[in-house]
Amino acid sequence: MGKWFKSGTPWIWMTGGAVSLSLIAVIGLFLLIGWRGLSFFWPATVYEFDMQNEQGQKSVLIGEIYDTESVLKQQLLDAGVIGLENEGDSLQRFLIKIGNREYVDLDFQWILETIIKDKKIANDIVVFERTKNGNFYGYLDAINEGKQKLNIEKSGLVDELNKRIERALEFRDKEHALLTGDIGRINYDLDRIRLNKRKLELDGSLTAQKVAEFAAQSDSLRAEYLALENELFDYRDQAKRDSVVVKDMTGRLVTMPLSYILDFYQPNDMSFMQKVGHWFHQVYKFVSSDPREANTEGGVFPAIFGTVFMVMLMAVIVTPFGVVAAIYLHEYAGKNNITKFIRIAVINLAGVPSIVYGVFGLGFFVYILGGSIDQLLYPEALPTPTFGSPGVLWSALTLAILTLPVVIVSTEEGLSRIPSTLREGSLALGATKSETLWRIVIPMASPAIMTGLILAVARAAGEVAPLMLVGVVKIAPTLPVDGNFPFLHLDRKFMHLGFHIYDVGFQSPNVEAARPLVYATSFLLVTVIIGLNLAAISIRNNLREKYRSLEH
Amino acid sequence: MIDLSNLNVKGNDLSALTAENTALEIKNLDLFYGDKQALHNVSMKIPKGKVTAFIGPSGCGKSTLLRCINRMNDLVEICRVDGNIELQGINIYDKSVDVASLRRRIGMVFQRPNPFPKSIYENVVYGLRLQGINDRRTLDEACETSLRGAALWNEVKDRLHDNAFGLSGGQQQRLVIARAIAIGPEVLLLDEPTSALDPISTLTIEELITELKKKFTVVIVTHNMQQAARVSDQTAFMYMGKLIEYSDTNTLFTSPKQKQTEDYITGRYG
Repeated sequence: MGKWFKSGTPWIWMTGGAVSLSLIAVIGLFLLIGWRGLSFFWPATVYEFDMQNEQGQKSVLIGEIYDTESVLKQQLLDAGVIGLENEGDSLQRFLIKIGNREYVDLDFQWILETIIKDKKIANDIVVFERTKNGNFYGYLDAINEGKQKLNIEKSGLVDELNKRIERALEFRDKEHALLTGDIGRINYDLDRIRLNKRKLELDGSLTAQKVAEFAAQSDSLRAEYLALENELFDYRDQAKRDSVVVKDMTGRLVTMPLSYILDFYQPNDMSFMQKVGHWFHQVYKFVSSDPREANTEGGVFPAIFGTVFMVMLMAVIVTPFGVVAAIYLHEYAGKNNITKFIRIAVINLAGVPSIVYGVFGLGFFVYILGGSIDQLLYPEALPTPTFGSPGVLWSALTLAILTLPVVIVSTEEGLSRIPSTLREGSLALGATKSETLWRIVIPMASPAIMTGLILAVARAAGEVAPLMLVGVVKIAPTLPVDGNFPFLHLDRKFMHLGFHIYDVGFQSPNVEAARPLVYATSFLLVTVIIGLNLAAISIRNNLREKYRSLEH
Repeated sequence: MIDLSNLNVKGNDLSALTAENTALEIKNLDLFYGDKQALHNVSMKIPKGKVTAFIGPSGCGKSTLLRCINRMNDLVEICRVDGNIELQGINIYDKSVDVASLRRRIGMVFQRPNPFPKSIYENVVYGLRLQGINDRRTLDEACETSLRGAALWNEVKDRLHDNAFGLSGGQQQRLVIARAIAIGPEVLLLDEPTSALDPISTLTIEELITELKKKFTVVIVTHNMQQAARVSDQTAFMYMGKLIEYSDTNTLFTSPKQKQTEDYITGRYG
């Protein structure tokens, strides 16, 4: 036994075990959120339940089985449930997603197995994805064009519906393009005219001629707007023309205009390959579309865009700052106690809780810096703040400060690892210190700088707390990049995947509907961070290959 | 012991050096690392177009003295130098002297090959690019001349744009020499240039040194006495920071005047 200990085997087992545990934890986490998040997009089978309650009332419930749990009989008895005399100690309970939110009290219902008399797959059931009120489950009954019911065979309904939904979607797309394109531009221009006018007014150089000019411009824009508005209403009416009649689980016939339906599918009539195709389509929609209904439905594209944009902006800010600071500390600052103190202070900055940075960002960047910028550059917009309110620029700056220590520390490490013989070689050829730095030292330290950047990105992409103070919002109406001059709008608020998780999971009006989205968004956030890191790592490995000399 | 048949028999009379024939004159040089004195009152003249070797046991100050000549010791913060080193009558420690342009005139090659992580070509033209020369043809010519001068051209002419780390140690050291001579220095300082190399590479470098002295004044530090005997015209023996004896190589190795020199070259210590 003593020999076994001496051989070092237990030590190897212990270290290996620690690595395995970490690995299992990471992979387990990834698998859990991946499975929970991605299975949400799989078209679940829809069942029809025939139920009879204790009083003998019969009813029908149509929906997906969302969750299953077992409860103790005693617990149910205590809760006053009757009619359990012949049951075992524990019973199964199902959470059914029945949708049809505007027609039922609860779109998620718990039912006990004892009251289910029959459970069968609901053939021909159609699931509608709608712009409002979530999914609708029902059987196709008819299609109306205007008020007129179309005379089509039952079997042809699905094809016809497909065609007509496509047509409605076309008009909705046109409407959307018009809203964000031309109408958005007109609104933006109108606002700029107002600001220009106000600016001249503040300068005291607003002449009658200018006023007339502005008025003429506004009038022509408004006229243009009115024309576009008619077009818009026309698109809306066109999209609303057709409607579909669906029979829901209570047998009621519900008429829904197609303008309000995004997609429909028949999960119980799909082959496996169709389901796979549907899954990919749903995942694509999730990452590429805007959120709907207070973020509980729809996609997360603005949040992905906001996260990536903000992190990149942060990287652009933090890298030069961190590198320059590290170069001064390592190359120029005297090797004395003050330098040591500064270095320790920088390292300790990494330990400050991130919310403190958020408070600092709000107080210094947003109110002081942003407020001053508004006073100096945008006085015409006041009292509406331009940069004086939280925005993506301030978020990036705040996170840049937060990650600055990481970049400084790893850059300094990289600088100190460059062999002094190389510096001497360069100096001996008549290079000055700064030439040596630029031509030899910094290129050779670039892999270390990239390492710092990787760590900074990893930390910044996952931060949420400070962002809640300096720029993140639940729903941002526009992206920070658009087609209106100057194209980059760094003063705008943005959406962020991390905050989206918090918002959907804990601030949502519909907890059950939002839960899978929490997993899906988490999975996406992790994927985005991994993606950003992999990009940085591959750049670093390229650089390493290039400056391989450090090995000898 | 020393193989006398290999000696360069030249018969240099160092005391009779005229100002024209002197590349460098070191006058009463004292050097301190903090409180510790590393060089004691060193004075010597280094003749033009010859190879001068510094020998002595480890820690005797020969490398320190060499690094004084192109002011590499400036990099050591606690280092302080008293006395003069004159390059063509101008004291290199004068305040008006620009260190970077001084180092262009006095090149240096270090103990371990230290090519930059660039291509062979970029290594050679590094010093020229520093001077703002970017004309392709000038650089190409300088590159070829320097690599020929360092006896490396034939080995690398087909792969000038490969990374310099692909070369062997001996080739790297010759590349570093090519890099140093590319900027046309007057003096070339070699700090134990063969101590990290195998015997064959050492031989190549030694042959190269004999070639180099046709164009440059060479000062070499070596701990290898045979090497000093083989390549140098005059030799300085240093011990404990003092210049003990300095004369032409032949004399120093055959009839040393000082007891310490004799003890060292006959292998009684060091």
